[in-house]
Amino acid sequence: MSFEPKIVGFLCNWCAYAGADLAGTSRKKYAPNVRVVRVMCSGRVEPGFILKAFQQGADGVLVCG
Amino acid sequence: MASVRSHENIELMTYSEVVEISGYVGNFKVKIRKKPRYVDASKCTGCGTCQDKCPARTASEFDLGLGQRKAIYTPFPQAVPNVPVIDTETCIHFTSGKCGACQKLCEAKAIDFEQREEVAEVEVGSIIVTTGFDSLDPSDMTQFGYGRYDNVITGIQFERMSNASGPTGGRIMLKDGSIPHRIAILHCIGSRDVNYHEYCSRVCCMYSLKFSHLLREKIPDAEIYQLYIDLRCFGKGYEEFYNRLQEEGVNFVRGKAGEITDIAESPEEEGKLIVIAEDTLVRRKRRTPVDMVVLSTALEPRADADEVARLFSISRSKDGFFLEKHPKLDPVATTTDGIFVAGCCQGPKDIPDTVAQASAAAARVIAMIDKGVVAIESAISVIDEDLCCGCKTCVSICPYTAISFDEEKQVSVINEALCKGCGTCAATCPSGAITSRHFTTEQIVAQIEGAMV
Repeated sequence: MSFEPKIVGFLCNWCAYAGADLAGTSRKKYAPNVRVVRVMCSGRVEPGFILKAFQQGADGVLVCG
Repeated sequence: MASVRSHENIELMTYSEVVEISGYVGNFKVKIRKKPRYVDASKCTGCGTCQDKCPARTASEFDLGLGQRKAIYTPFPQAVPNVPVIDTETCIHFTSGKCGACQKLCEAKAIDFEQREEVAEVEVGSIIVTTGFDSLDPSDMTQFGYGRYDNVITGIQFERMSNASGPTGGRIMLKDGSIPHRIAILHCIGSRDVNYHEYCSRVCCMYSLKFSHLLREKIPDAEIYQLYIDLRCFGKGYEEFYNRLQEEGVNFVRGKAGEITDIAESPEEEGKLIVIAEDTLVRRKRRTPVDMVVLSTALEPRADADEVARLFSISRSKDGFFLEKHPKLDPVATTTDGIFVAGCCQGPKDIPDTVAQASAAAARVIAMIDKGVVAIESAISVIDEDLCCGCKTCVSICPYTAISFDEEKQVSVINEALCKGCGTCAATCPSGAITSRHFTTEQIVAQIEGAMV
């Protein structure tokens, strides 16, 4: 079985999350490897959140905003 | 406009400009620069003697250079208020210190050459931005020869020409004063064009059709050609109007004009403007000799839209028009609470749509006034005063300047009306005193755990 990374994505409500939402309404597919956590601003993301994601077994963390 | 001016609850400030805005919804402080008119509006009776007697003339902006105006003028006959303004660049008194005819002849003694700029400060609860649009200048589209050929005009110039109180008294005429008998109206000049604006300007199809109707009325034997990409007669009664024009004998050619030239290839083309286009319905190139060409130019954002957007904290969409909060669910609000948009500053639209949007914006504002209180977002940040150490880190990083410092209590305070709930302060607070409601650390950590299951 090939390697499938698990990625936690912190997405800003106004841009990146809206973009992901737009992808959905435009019927576009994106890989299910990214699990999205919506935040009101990428500024809300604390270093602790990123460490927590890695601790929980994430292979990568994406902060978009 | 006249009824707006006479309304007791409306203060109309013309020839004025907003220069600064501070505060937030319900508590805006607005600084407005009132430019000097050099005419005392409280004394002027609007008799018009000054405009009749003024010896200095220049091209009229309102008539787009087709007519002239005086140095002391009202932009157009129905302008509100009916108080003229002096254009200091043309006025003989301002340029050479002589003349002063208007001052001598004004019975009301309203002319005041010493008038200075004033800055008024008003407090308002909400703001509606209705700054309109600019019409695209087709001068740099050399293929159409605007500015090079005398009888290639824009739609607005045609509009002024057909107006009974306009520069030609309502007569459609060529530059030499003769009457045109063959006229071509070219749609989509700068609209639906990847080189200029990709969007459709929405009003050109209908005003172009209206021009045909006016021409039919004023010059009954005129041959009229409409060159279009698609006819978008989308509104109520619009399709019926299009059908009516087809019956009135207007020639519709489906094809965008590629070029206008004066180089004749046959005797009948001599001395004419030749519109070259591909007629896509019959699949052949067509050369149409005409006397006059009307360019239906695109509506575009105002030249200073960027500056205005920054002043009012409004975003702009890709096409440069002001961005509404939501294209379907909130088309009059902006992302700044208490600031609304209406009309063509938000995107090209016709009169019925503009009236609808403006009414909606007015209703939204009245509803806020009537309520007396503003409902604020629940997802905002809160500070635990017992934990706050007073380091002021949050004050400096808040992108909405919503946090201030209470010197007496030695803690930071969040203004609930300004806070947008971004949570940057909560992430930054070294003592963990700030909670971002609905996005607390516990909630986000739980989501991370959930995501990794």
